[in-house]
Amino acid sequence: MSLYTIKKEHRCIIENLPKIGLLKSLGLREGINVAIKSKQPMGGPVIVQVGRRCVAIAQDIAKDIQVREVS
Amino acid sequence: MDCHNNSPEVQVGKDTLKFLLMGNPNVGKSVVFSKLTGVEVLAANYTGTTVGYTKGKIRNLKKDGILIDVPGTYGLEATSEAEEVAVSFVKEGADAIICVLDATNLERNLNFALQLKKFDIPMVFVLNLVDVAEQQGVIIDTEALSKELRAPVIPTVAVRNVGLRDLLSEMEKVEKREKEVCYTAEKELLEEEESRWKEIGRIVEKVQTLEEREPSFIEKLGYASMQPWPGIPLAIIVLVVVLGFVVGGGKAIRGALLLPFVFNVYEPAMTAFVGSFIAEGTIIYNVLVGDYGVLIKIIEWPFALVLPYITLFYIALSTLEDSGYLPRIGVLMDGALRKIGVQGGSIVPFIMGYGCAIPAILGSKAATTHKERVIVASLVSLAVPCTAQTAAFFVLLGDESIWMLVGVYGLSILAMIVGGGVLNRMLPGKVDPMLLEIPNLLKPDLKTVAQKIKIRVKHYLVEAQVPMALGILFAAIIAETGLIHGISDFLSPVVTGWLGLPGEAGLALMLGIVRRELAVLPLLDMNLTSLQIFTGATVALFYLPCLSVLAILIKEFKLKTGLAIAGTTLVAAFVIGGVINQTVRFISSIL
Repeated sequence: MSLYTIKKEHRCIIENLPKIGLLKSLGLREGINVAIKSKQPMGGPVIVQVGRRCVAIAQDIAKDIQVREVS
Repeated sequence: MDCHNNSPEVQVGKDTLKFLLMGNPNVGKSVVFSKLTGVEVLAANYTGTTVGYTKGKIRNLKKDGILIDVPGTYGLEATSEAEEVAVSFVKEGADAIICVLDATNLERNLNFALQLKKFDIPMVFVLNLVDVAEQQGVIIDTEALSKELRAPVIPTVAVRNVGLRDLLSEMEKVEKREKEVCYTAEKELLEEEESRWKEIGRIVEKVQTLEEREPSFIEKLGYASMQPWPGIPLAIIVLVVVLGFVVGGGKAIRGALLLPFVFNVYEPAMTAFVGSFIAEGTIIYNVLVGDYGVLIKIIEWPFALVLPYITLFYIALSTLEDSGYLPRIGVLMDGALRKIGVQGGSIVPFIMGYGCAIPAILGSKAATTHKERVIVASLVSLAVPCTAQTAAFFVLLGDESIWMLVGVYGLSILAMIVGGGVLNRMLPGKVDPMLLEIPNLLKPDLKTVAQKIKIRVKHYLVEAQVPMALGILFAAIIAETGLIHGISDFLSPVVTGWLGLPGEAGLALMLGIVRRELAVLPLLDMNLTSLQIFTGATVALFYLPCLSVLAILIKEFKLKTGLAIAGTTLVAAFVIGGVINQTVRFISSIL
């Protein structure tokens, strides 16, 4: 499933992500556990907590990030 | 990053030590830089404040040393303009790299630090923001970290000068250190993405302890402010409070303090003084102290009318910048902004544009594509009034009716929506989707904010006064010598016929080329009707960006694009202003 389908306050593990250099630099990489902190209306970004920091990821990118939900 | 990259020329002698200041975006490099060099740079709590680079001579170092503030990057792969700059600096070499690490986000910062190691340049690590980390329950063993990195690690709170002395003494020792060697095996380990992250994991495990803490009020606020609810209502409240503070506060200072001083003390004194040696009624007398008297207007306009608003606006802007709140508004607005070809992160240059278009246009460099940059710069030039012009609007419109003020600002937003929509369709290329780190929400440091306000107000006082004074002198001469009648006749088909303004209003249009507020201020003393005030304000809003903005546009986007932006704003001003005038007149004629 894609990161964009995960509900707020749920956690997931990233399995596959598009080759965007900045994603990795921001700490998003395969195998790490992230939490969805908010979803913005009007096709806005999702906010994901990576480690101790939040990152806003546009819908277009979030849809391309494959994840596995964990509880 | 105000106006120019005006770092003073620094002499680099043979014995001068060269330090590079590097790190991830928004870890406090610019703060460390201005503390060590005394060079005034504007820092803020979000990524991408330093888009060019600045260098300065290091103060209080026992040797000669220069420090270069390299733009913050997440990596060294030269995938963006900022990364290219960073890589070229490292390849050029230096006596040492001062690498600033954010203690609240050690993992990701180490990813950058370890990539730097392979260049064999001695490093000094600055572990900044240790106070915030501690509040969040993050404790880092600096000694252990220093052992892992094989380089000194200095814990600091740069905004409050904590740890900077230790940093300086470590920088002095740099020469005596053994030559840095990064072993081939280690280089390979760090080169490979996966093994590097493993290594980072190992280091973090060793040096960092996390304590579970109940989130503080400010952390909860930081979280709440990026949820649509209550984030959006909160953003509206912040906007209303800021506007109330600037408009209300400015009006109070102006009314209670500055205007009485100008009209009751300064003007009579100046008039009497000039009258003592120049006969009343002569042209020179009128140029000096008449209706457009230079000696009066030069104090009244920039100081009594504009300065209070400028100061209050920059108090609000600087506080918001340092709190880390602005990118949160960007996140909330991203969905809406995408429709006009801009992503949420670009809200920051827009907000800065309400201060001055120049830092906004320079700040648009943080946009990832050229198309987005052009859209941001065009919309700021077209429809975002700078503080000085805003102040003039407050005086002209606010004294007439608050609804006229709302009307002009509504028009400004409408123009941005329409203009952005058109540009987004017209310009080739694409706008990257948003991918933005959200900074910690921090309580702004009072001293740092005060310093920023000082730099900005000083900038207004120094840079704005000469063009302003020349503009006023020019106005006084053509108004008092009667030249204005000739000009009015010449411009009257447009000014009187199409826009419905009195002939003298042509003066505002001429002065508006120099500075944006000068397109508004001359209208004050013309006894205009409400419709004329609104039309005049509309024309001024869209009218040419000021001369310095035009220069920046040409410098950043080449002559053709710069002139195209300026030309469009000029046409928009006359078309929109005229349509409003003609429509209202037509409607009132049939009613």
